[in-house]
Amino acid sequence: MTRPADPSLPGPHAFDAVVYAAPGLNYAAVPPLSQYVVYDSPDAGYDTGSIDISDFANLGSAPWPFPNTAMPINGQLRVPRGRGPFPLALFAHGNHNPLVDSTPGYLYLCELLASHGIIAATIDVNFLNGFNFGENDARAIIHLEHLKQFRAWNSTANHPLCGQIDLTRIMIVGHSRGGEGVGHASYFNRLGAIQPTLVSPVVPLDGSAGLGPYGFRLSAVMAIAPTDAQYVPLTGPTVVPDAYFLIHGSRDGDVFTFSGYDTFNRAHAVNLPNPTVSDFRPKGLLWVYWANHNQFNSVWPSEFSGAPVLPRGEQEGIVKVYIGALAQAKLLDRHEYDATLKDHAAAHAWLPPLLLCVSQYQDPRRIFVQHEQEGPGFPQISLPIQGVILADSVGAMRGLFDLANTFGPQFTYTLRLDWNTSPARLPMNVDPTTFAAHRFSVLSFRTGQSVDPANVVDRDQDFTLEISTGMRTFTARASSFHRLLYPDTAVSAGKIVMQTVRVPIDALIDRGLDPADIRQITLSFDQRPSGSIYVGEVQFSD
Amino acid sequence: MIPPSPPKITAVEVVATRPTDADRRIFAVLRERDDKTIEEISFVVKLRFAAMPEPTSLGWALYVGSERIPKYWSYKHGIYFKVYELQYFAEHRGDSIRFSLDHHDFVDTGHRLADPSGGSSRPAAGTSPLPTLDQALDD
Repeated sequence: MTRPADPSLPGPHAFDAVVYAAPGLNYAAVPPLSQYVVYDSPDAGYDTGSIDISDFANLGSAPWPFPNTAMPINGQLRVPRGRGPFPLALFAHGNHNPLVDSTPGYLYLCELLASHGIIAATIDVNFLNGFNFGENDARAIIHLEHLKQFRAWNSTANHPLCGQIDLTRIMIVGHSRGGEGVGHASYFNRLGAIQPTLVSPVVPLDGSAGLGPYGFRLSAVMAIAPTDAQYVPLTGPTVVPDAYFLIHGSRDGDVFTFSGYDTFNRAHAVNLPNPTVSDFRPKGLLWVYWANHNQFNSVWPSEFSGAPVLPRGEQEGIVKVYIGALAQAKLLDRHEYDATLKDHAAAHAWLPPLLLCVSQYQDPRRIFVQHEQEGPGFPQISLPIQGVILADSVGAMRGLFDLANTFGPQFTYTLRLDWNTSPARLPMNVDPTTFAAHRFSVLSFRTGQSVDPANVVDRDQDFTLEISTGMRTFTARASSFHRLLYPDTAVSAGKIVMQTVRVPIDALIDRGLDPADIRQITLSFDQRPSGSIYVGEVQFSD
Repeated sequence: MIPPSPPKITAVEVVATRPTDADRRIFAVLRERDDKTIEEISFVVKLRFAAMPEPTSLGWALYVGSERIPKYWSYKHGIYFKVYELQYFAEHRGDSIRFSLDHHDFVDTGHRLADPSGGSSRPAAGTSPLPTLDQALDD
């Protein structure tokens, strides 16, 4: 296979810039909102409408020239020239000063995608901005209503976008509160009605009362430095049902809690009663050392993070690589870019040479050796695989830990391993007749080091991985697959973001192992005299 | 990084207002849920700030006692939320108004929920009609 091109570089398509907006807006008459005059005169054919979201949200304190019963569908669009249909990507900003138009902040991403043959827009949700809270359900509704507008144009005879949109390939992207919003949008997209709060009426989303119907085929949901659970549905925190991807910076001076980690962990989690059942959706994340919050939006000034951050151009370049690869893989079926989503090392040549990142990926095809979700205590092999775990000079305990250093624990169990003598070992003995490792392409697990004194500050952690059959043993240092970085402690006390380590099954075969006969997987702590690491979700996967 | 501080509240005021159409739909829900007549007054609880902070994404969750206020909104001098039942004030009389970033650690604002029966709720019969939300926030 030829090496794929850098996905952050422009593609071959020329594109047109379009503004769409609700008719009759007159921002010019409201001087504090002068940044929005672009929506006073949408391009020909791109008049939209307005929606009533008064069951979800009020307006904030800015002097908006419309009520919450008539919020406009406004956006800035980049349309590739040529013969469609083209996939669709819609970006939504987050919370900021409402007198500043946050919408153009993702045009650099829209233009990248449009150059590769994707219709891409960045939507106006500014009227929800301000010192408001709990409105992210409304952000989700607005995002979905924009999709509905594009679906209407796609089927409107003589409209410039008639037949030009491939509605089977849609990606929604949100930043900050807009990042939380896309998670809710993914959930709402499948509903016929929603009751936003305990005292709210049930709001139809089936088109009978203005909102919906949705039911879009979302190929990917991408959150950039999102918040989480500022809005909580009555059914509990939102579980994103679609393919979910996340990027966040270690020096985020706004959402310094890395709240999206909770969204990520809830998505596509193990179904405890049926652990072999998959929902057929992947998830992935990229944790970018030194990236901050605001620089993902090109018009937001950098926030105070308390430590040096990446230059804006580098940070924009990194998100262009990740979202570019995601769009190539999920919207354009260029599966050579899947490798970047599975492991950021595949993007090494496209990223700044000194950049430090951590990435995670969970494939929908997997069988867990240990998913850890059975509860607190000593680890165990997860059913239906049969086996037993031993601990030799290593402390092993599952728990709900505060990995992201956000004052409270994660909502999923993780395994903590501590050793202060070397060698120490954690052998996982498994019965090879209870699983079929040879049907998968990798053995994968998440692991990361903590800031505990057992680890040396700013030094990579390492250990040896041993995989044994009845006859042979494969050994390799974990660091030969991926660096296990020390957490960035410049902004917080250090977040433990585990790296997904993916060991190719072919590497075992190359060493003469029969993957159908794997009997033991051992973490051997022989590379450092002491250490504290976390491990999650040991699995055979793709 | 030093965690941010929540805004400083200088006053809490409860204003009885004329319901919006959306409020009326909520009253319909409450009538059906509780099977009783409810007087259609939307109480606007205004929390006036010493200074309006710059909006951020993380934001502060607002609590009255141990109950999270699911949504609040900004106005020129602070934030407000709505209460639809007078009984709410009786149930939360004296409860502290608190902010939290994480629903785990709380910052007490030093203010308690004001009681609309103290003279700031419904005007006496024969006086002018209740203000609209915009009027209630325009001070």
